[in-house]
Amino acid sequence: MKRLFSGVINGLAEIWGHKLRSLLTISCVMLGVASMVVTTGFMEGFFGTWEASLQEAGGLEKISGVPQSLSERQAPFAPVSKGFTLADARALTELVPTIAVLSPEIDAESSRLTRKGRRFVGRAQGVTNGIFEINRYEVAEGRMFSDLDMNDHADVIIIGSEVTKNCFQPGENPLGQFLDYNGRPFLIIGVLKHYERLYGTYNTLNWKNDVAFIPITTMASKVQRSDQLSWINMKSEDLSRLRETVDAAANVLAQQHRGLIDFKVKTNEESLASYASTKASFVVGGSAIAGVSLLVSGIGIMNLMLASINERVREIGIRKAIGATPFNIFSQFVAEAVTLSLLGGAAGVGVAVAMIQGLGAVLPPGSAPMLAPSAFWVGFAFSVTAGVLAGIYPAVQAAKLDPIEALRYE
Amino acid sequence: MNSVREVLRLDRVGKRYPMGDTIVDALVDASFTLNEGEAVAILGPSGSGKSTLMHLLGFLDSPTSGEVIFEGRPVAALTERQRARIRAEKIGFVFQAFNLLPRLSVRANVALPLAYNSAPPADAEARVDRALELVGMTHRAHHKPGELSGGQRQRVAIARALVNEPRILLADEPTGNLDTKTAAAILDLFQELNRLGRTIIVVTHSPEIAARFKRQIHVLDGRVTEGSA
Repeated sequence: MKRLFSGVINGLAEIWGHKLRSLLTISCVMLGVASMVVTTGFMEGFFGTWEASLQEAGGLEKISGVPQSLSERQAPFAPVSKGFTLADARALTELVPTIAVLSPEIDAESSRLTRKGRRFVGRAQGVTNGIFEINRYEVAEGRMFSDLDMNDHADVIIIGSEVTKNCFQPGENPLGQFLDYNGRPFLIIGVLKHYERLYGTYNTLNWKNDVAFIPITTMASKVQRSDQLSWINMKSEDLSRLRETVDAAANVLAQQHRGLIDFKVKTNEESLASYASTKASFVVGGSAIAGVSLLVSGIGIMNLMLASINERVREIGIRKAIGATPFNIFSQFVAEAVTLSLLGGAAGVGVAVAMIQGLGAVLPPGSAPMLAPSAFWVGFAFSVTAGVLAGIYPAVQAAKLDPIEALRYE
Repeated sequence: MNSVREVLRLDRVGKRYPMGDTIVDALVDASFTLNEGEAVAILGPSGSGKSTLMHLLGFLDSPTSGEVIFEGRPVAALTERQRARIRAEKIGFVFQAFNLLPRLSVRANVALPLAYNSAPPADAEARVDRALELVGMTHRAHHKPGELSGGQRQRVAIARALVNEPRILLADEPTGNLDTKTAAAILDLFQELNRLGRTIIVVTHSPEIAARFKRQIHVLDGRVTEGSA
């Protein structure tokens, strides 16, 4: 411990003794560490957000039936199929037992909800209670839809926190109040939980707050005036039967649509696979950047250490003559190299923090790097590794010096 | 009976160097014994082999034949680490060129060998003070070597050699870079240290300096002969 400490003191004295040379070397390490930390920050921010969005959009068990344009061969028969309808939903429920939950949805983007001169423009959806389970929504206050709401095509609505924010005063309780949608008043029976995952100051989950749900029957009969669905989401009972469920659903839909493949049945596996492959390529790219930075820092440190040892041959001879073992000399020089690179590492983390904050101010919120705590460890580990690796060779050279030759050296 | 303790013994020690195509015998069949408390001058002209002898006595070099025996143990059987430990704890070196580290203060230079002690002594600070006091350099403890005169630097080097309280003090031309008056003061210091019980070996080319020591060993063309005062 004492020797390590004296190694660090020695290192600091050497750095002070050769200010310009040390400054250049420290800059090498600083830039290496800064680029490492910023790259890590970018990746952490980017993939953290992506992963959370994947989770919130329903897990792996989610299956979606979505419209797709017909192939050229089938195109002339387009009028034969009515596309997704409520009848499809009923057929799927009846014929595919491995579907645990089903959520037929009618999506009305840019809907206007108004109340006492205040308004919200956003997504309104006609849904069943299935959406809460499949797309992971939670009713924080009030209730979900009842069978009566569904059968009666009731004018009831469940709103997200953005709707509350836009149409109500702060502190006002929306439950039991009315919102006008499509020219008729809807009773607010539920308020969704507020979803938040901040990326800087940007809430990456705000899309979950930006919604209003009404019963699908109401949407079909009173707003859209047709039972045409935007899509159907399903949840497989069991992940091991996912494939089977997808095939069965596709069969039922093909039957319902009279053989026209104007739909596609897809799972989250695809988005998960693209997430995984993108992440893998980023990790490879990031590692390459880290490797190059490490190499550059290492070369800088090694260069300085070799120059320093060349100048201090006599000192090494003296130290050996008065009792330093080769290991003492070795550890002295490794400690000096590590001191040097730790200084560079500390400076690099400082620069990275400044850069991340600067980029955060300039770049749009979704793509700015995040200050990840792990980045500090990465920077620290990086500089110690560079110091040790680059210090070893010069230190071995120093430890191997013949004391007699070294003492003779002028 | 007055028992004399042997510290260092050379037994038919030879040292050969290859130099270009030829082989140089720097030392041939050197045998002698150094006992505790002796003050010895190793005298010879430059190129006679006395520096080689000095390096062998300090384990900085190994003989090509024969044996160097320290406190009854053959040095050849020791690992490099063990030799370094003995150098750190039992032998103090003084060089002609002082060999102080210019970056460090006088105090830090004197304390240097303590860092290489297997167990750093608890009274390290006190030892540095004692060594500086012994050579009369306490008042310059915080100066850098560059701010001192030649005689003062050599005193600091001697303090460094003494800080671990070694049994042997090995000095290689310790007065070579000093004027006559300063040289005499340094030699007085060696004699004082010898009186305090330390074994002193001084390597020199000057017969006048050698004459101040009780025992003299002459080296000429690699051959060692015992002389007398």
